[in-house]
Amino acid sequence: MITAERKSLSEIKAMIAPYRKILLVGCGTCVAECASGGEKEVGLLASQLRMAAKIEGREIEIKEITLDRQCVYEFIDQLTSLVEQYDVVLSLGCGAGVQAVAEVFPKLTILPALNTTFIGETRGSGVWFENCRACGDCKLGLFAAVCPITRCAKGLLNGPCGGSKGEHCEVDPDTPCAWQLIVTRLEERGRLEFLEEVHPPVDWSKSQGKGPRKIVREDQKN
Amino acid sequence: MDRTIDKETARISIFFCQRVDSGQDTNRRAIEKELGARIRFYPLPCSGRIDPLQLLRAIETGADMVYLVTCGEGTCRYREGNTRAWKRLAYAQGLIEEIGLERERLEVIQSNGQKTIDEITRSLLARDIRVGSSPLRPK
Repeated sequence: MITAERKSLSEIKAMIAPYRKILLVGCGTCVAECASGGEKEVGLLASQLRMAAKIEGREIEIKEITLDRQCVYEFIDQLTSLVEQYDVVLSLGCGAGVQAVAEVFPKLTILPALNTTFIGETRGSGVWFENCRACGDCKLGLFAAVCPITRCAKGLLNGPCGGSKGEHCEVDPDTPCAWQLIVTRLEERGRLEFLEEVHPPVDWSKSQGKGPRKIVREDQKN
Repeated sequence: MDRTIDKETARISIFFCQRVDSGQDTNRRAIEKELGARIRFYPLPCSGRIDPLQLLRAIETGADMVYLVTCGEGTCRYREGNTRAWKRLAYAQGLIEEIGLERERLEVIQSNGQKTIDEITRSLLARDIRVGSSPLRPK
């Protein structure tokens, strides 16, 4: 899941200041799960913006809509009949959603209301945890399903670094040491021989080394 | 912003857990009849059902004060409903503060289980209100 956090209200207000009619577009998938850009959050932000405008004596008109997915054309198309009635689109989608909407409506101003943060899991109610950097070359099978690139502050493939204290990271004492987790799990599974392998440097060309990545599947095309 | 408000005319919204008063349906209607549109009650099956959006909508529609009446600590029928409610109200307080309103406009009232909803309401109505008239009141 992609996680995000809402920008401060002052930053959002500054962005939309030149506009009066605002189309506020949420996304019902990842950012709804992490409570930053779903239908409820659209309602909260719209209410805040309306109240702020009234207090400041400004006129503002906000239309609220939440797409099932803001990064897929078939869902973005629901905006087609609406966008021309508004001065600006304020998106509560992730960065992919904002850009997808802008691709479909290139003449419109699309503004982001969220800061897209990381790929992660819902660890508990109200807790989201980063655990994947989308490096394009998954090695979780070698590390007992603990990603050292993401969860080790130093990104060590040949750890541990030796600096952990009380099974926690020396960089952030609130974070469990990824290598402690890897060693413990491999021990529990009777697979400590995995630790004998020396891993070569990561091939970052599969990540961002060649610019934006693209996946093309002929069998999935129309 | 006006810092004084006449408690005789203040617009009040009260969200409350129905378990606070088994006779709430009758008791609240008596006050609604007496005070008319300046008081609004929103019964909840448990205060944990409250959503920050409901609190914001109450403020947005012109309430000067919004109270959330919950069961006392450790007495929630559903164990944690009231503690969740307090956290959600705190979140909504942050949201109204962002737009320049006083966080005191949203307040938790913990019931001791001894008073009916009309008695709780009358004690709230008798209190001095520490914030001014809402700038969001309909004209």
